[in-house]
Amino acid sequence: MRCNEATGLLLPAAAPGTPLVAVAPDWLCAAHTALTRPGPHAVPDTEGPLHGVIGGRRVAAYPSVRTDGSVAWWLVDDTDHQLVREALRVERERTAFLAKASNVLLSSLNLGRCMDVTAQLAAESLADAALAIAPPRGHRLPVVTCLRGGSPALSTQEGVDPDDVPGLGEALRGFPPVPSRWIDPATAPAWMVPPGFGPVGSIVITPLPGHGVAAGALILLRRTENAAFTDEEEVFARLFAARAGAAMSAARLYAEQTAITDVLMRELLPPTLHHISGVDFAGRYRPSADHERVGGDFYDVHPAAVEGEASLVSLGDVCGKGLEAAVLTGKIRNTLHALLPLADDHRRMLSLLNTALLNSHHTRFATLVLASAVRRGNMVDLKLTSGGHPSPLIIRSDGTVEEADTNGTLIGALPDITATTAEASLAPGESCVLYTDGITEAKGGPMGDALFGEGRLKRALTECAGMPAEGIAEHVQMLAAQWLGNRSHDDMAVVVISAPRTHHLSAVNGRTRGRFTA
Amino acid sequence: MTTHPQHLRLTTVDTEGSIRIGLQGDLDYDSADHLLNEVTAHLAARPALTDLHLHCAELDTVDSTGLSALLMISRRTSGAGVRLHLDARPERLDRLLHLTGTLDHFTALVPGGAVRSPATEESVAATRPNGPDGTT
Amino acid sequence: MNTSTQPPPSRSEHAVRSADLLWGAVSVSDEGAATELVLGLLDEGTDPESVLLDVIARVQARVGEEWAAARMTVAQEHAATAINDRAVAAVSVHSAARVTATRGRITVACVDGEWHGLPARLLAEVLKLRGWQVDYLGAQVPTRHLIAHLHGTRADAVALSSSIATRLPTAHAAITACQAIGVPVLVGGAAFGPEGVYAKTLGADAWAPDARTAADHLARGRLPRPEPDHQQFDDLPHLADQEYTMVDRNSDSLVRSVYTELEDAFPGMRSYDDLQRERTAEDLAHIVEFLATALYLDDEELFTGFITWTAQILVARGVPDRSLPPTLDLLARELKDFPRAVRILRAGTRSITTAPFTAARNIA
Repeated sequence: MRCNEATGLLLPAAAPGTPLVAVAPDWLCAAHTALTRPGPHAVPDTEGPLHGVIGGRRVAAYPSVRTDGSVAWWLVDDTDHQLVREALRVERERTAFLAKASNVLLSSLNLGRCMDVTAQLAAESLADAALAIAPPRGHRLPVVTCLRGGSPALSTQEGVDPDDVPGLGEALRGFPPVPSRWIDPATAPAWMVPPGFGPVGSIVITPLPGHGVAAGALILLRRTENAAFTDEEEVFARLFAARAGAAMSAARLYAEQTAITDVLMRELLPPTLHHISGVDFAGRYRPSADHERVGGDFYDVHPAAVEGEASLVSLGDVCGKGLEAAVLTGKIRNTLHALLPLADDHRRMLSLLNTALLNSHHTRFATLVLASAVRRGNMVDLKLTSGGHPSPLIIRSDGTVEEADTNGTLIGALPDITATTAEASLAPGESCVLYTDGITEAKGGPMGDALFGEGRLKRALTECAGMPAEGIAEHVQMLAAQWLGNRSHDDMAVVVISAPRTHHLSAVNGRTRGRFTA
Repeated sequence: MTTHPQHLRLTTVDTEGSIRIGLQGDLDYDSADHLLNEVTAHLAARPALTDLHLHCAELDTVDSTGLSALLMISRRTSGAGVRLHLDARPERLDRLLHLTGTLDHFTALVPGGAVRSPATEESVAATRPNGPDGTT
Repeated sequence: MNTSTQPPPSRSEHAVRSADLLWGAVSVSDEGAATELVLGLLDEGTDPESVLLDVIARVQARVGEEWAAARMTVAQEHAATAINDRAVAAVSVHSAARVTATRGRITVACVDGEWHGLPARLLAEVLKLRGWQVDYLGAQVPTRHLIAHLHGTRADAVALSSSIATRLPTAHAAITACQAIGVPVLVGGAAFGPEGVYAKTLGADAWAPDARTAADHLARGRLPRPEPDHQQFDDLPHLADQEYTMVDRNSDSLVRSVYTELEDAFPGMRSYDDLQRERTAEDLAHIVEFLATALYLDDEELFTGFITWTAQILVARGVPDRSLPPTLDLLARELKDFPRAVRILRAGTRSITTAPFTAARNIA
């Protein structure tokens, strides 16, 4: 062999004339032999230079075949280069992990699912096992535990005091900020170590920062045989904890908001209707915007206080949309409820409601229909009164559709109102349909520009002769929905009052009645 | 919710003692405040006003919020001693006013509650300027 | 637990007989008789799941067939369905159906725009019988409500139902949204095509042809958590050509212009009354809707299947179907700049101008 001076620094035994095998490490000799063997050889367009270790340093070896057939090996020390690459790889992995973590954590607003994800991700990349802990509720501490490679499991620790574990109580309170805390594995309570985990090598408790909301804590466990946490890993764990904490506190806030809205909403949602005292009722409601569950249309059925007297149905529409309108409907429904003792006299009821709603600051009004329905023999007697609302439609047995002869003033904007009451009777199988103008004003159809309209509604109802109340309500709602397609619309409500068909009577008065109205 | 294709356009013509506002498009949830603000501003700026004409010939859909705005306007005009006229009402508006029992209220409206002579609307129409000369 | 109980022959005969009786009650809108019958079966000791699936579901399937064959109006279909729904309600409150929830939690819902709620309701009841905690959200559930519900409840899975193929783009949005928040989706219903081909196209986590299979599938173990970074677009790269978007967005004007051109081609249409006009426009709107869906899925067969069915329905309705090929032709001309649309429309034309159907039409 021949060599330059620098070779001596790397391979001290190298001197011109000595055989390569005597001075160079095996990996280099092997490569050399492969290269100098006669015959076709597919070198060196392999993947870049050869790498190996010489004297504790990482070296890259570049061969070049010379014209005389000998091979020159250029040896380059790339120890630092390799170290940088390794650091880059680790950094990339961590970034990818954090990106994935953010992605998964941000996508859910469910606290339980966020805790699952937190424990699982931490167990995948940070520790042999991880516990995500939410702030305690009373004496119950929600804990999600996950072993590496396993799936997260929720358990609620009863009667556990987080303050008994150093650092945990503070971490769960969320304020003031506390650093991660190492605890002696020997002092860890039994519930912190998952069954079958084996001896614990190290435990670190990291608070999950919640930005004003207590988000929880993350506990990481490593087994004895695995290395303890380096400073770098701890920083990394903190970065992850920041993301998990943000997600868990957002989920917590969302849950609290939803709980509040649900409580308020429950009062505003229309009721489910059924058979009352021998009369069938059915109702359907669809609020205007898909993101609302309540709006400006409403209906109620108030069963008679005394058996044999009329039940009162109210259906109406307040101007405006969404929650603001829903709050006014709530007021109207409550007022009507209070006025029930006067249900015999619709005009008086509407008049009192009008006075109750009058407000000097606005002219937000409601239009509504009152309907009293009472069973008389096989028939159902109706009293119908409109307060500025589309008249109810009556479907006769032969498919004729009649408009109830009632009209009146809208409620809540003018000092005085008028209203006339119409009377009608339903024979078995006949129905009365109360609806809001969201149905008739639905804009759509095959060309997209026509109103559903009263004419179309009446035509559709002629086909509903003899149908049960539920079927009619569903049918009307579906026709309007189809007419609309994906277009925007106003609130839509429909209530159907039916006189049950005669052969149905045995079931209504017979033994099954109590069972399926239960 | 998408923007409404028929946005409300108001065309105001100011003459001595009366204001005429031409309404074009939909008077609804999205536009009712626009009209109400416009009218309120005029009422405040013109204490000597005697008549407010809302010209409705080109009015398209009126929803419940639109009707509520008209009721509020009527309340404000009568408070200010101004006569409110809903002129050239399309059939659809008349139907809405009839259905809601407010037709009499709007057509028999004068400050103090006295019934206005039906001739007024005709005479107003006669003095109408030929075209809009001011757009808001 | 035995999850796939096949009733012995005698019992299944009994179920068929009961279904016939129930059909008798349902088809004449006799709610009392229908409920009475169902409760009687439960009192006799018939398994509630069998009452739901072998009796009520069978009758509902018959309702669907009668409607598809135009032997039942939409109103009659609704009347029948309403009574079946009462029958399901009667089963659900019977003491034999009282089961304590011992498994996880499942949300059952119909895609927005899907008003056939009964299949989903049957599944919800069956899952309850099998020990799941079930949240049944009903028919026509806007995706927003579904997602809000899932954020609030930590369901193990969503069972999503759709019977109308044109709801598939909406179903896709719902499936992707559920998966994005970490909840796997099992889909079912006629919309997803034979053997559930579209369930796969749309990236659903599982598909089941009926309630029993769906319940069995869920009983086999937790569906895996879906990958979070999946996007709607990933399933359907062909959407990049925007053909679906254009057809869907301009469907109204498309219907309007083709309608006018049809009037020129068939002067007889000018004497149509309002109702006939509306019917024709509705048929046209349906064709455009199915075309859009076929574009969304890039699936010709979805369209040809619909066109063949429409041709048969027109014959059943006594309406001459000779206007169908020119209609498709006019649409293709309107959409000449959209190669996929044109290809699909041509396939539609072929499907009704080929021999078997022409023969049938000539006889009719």
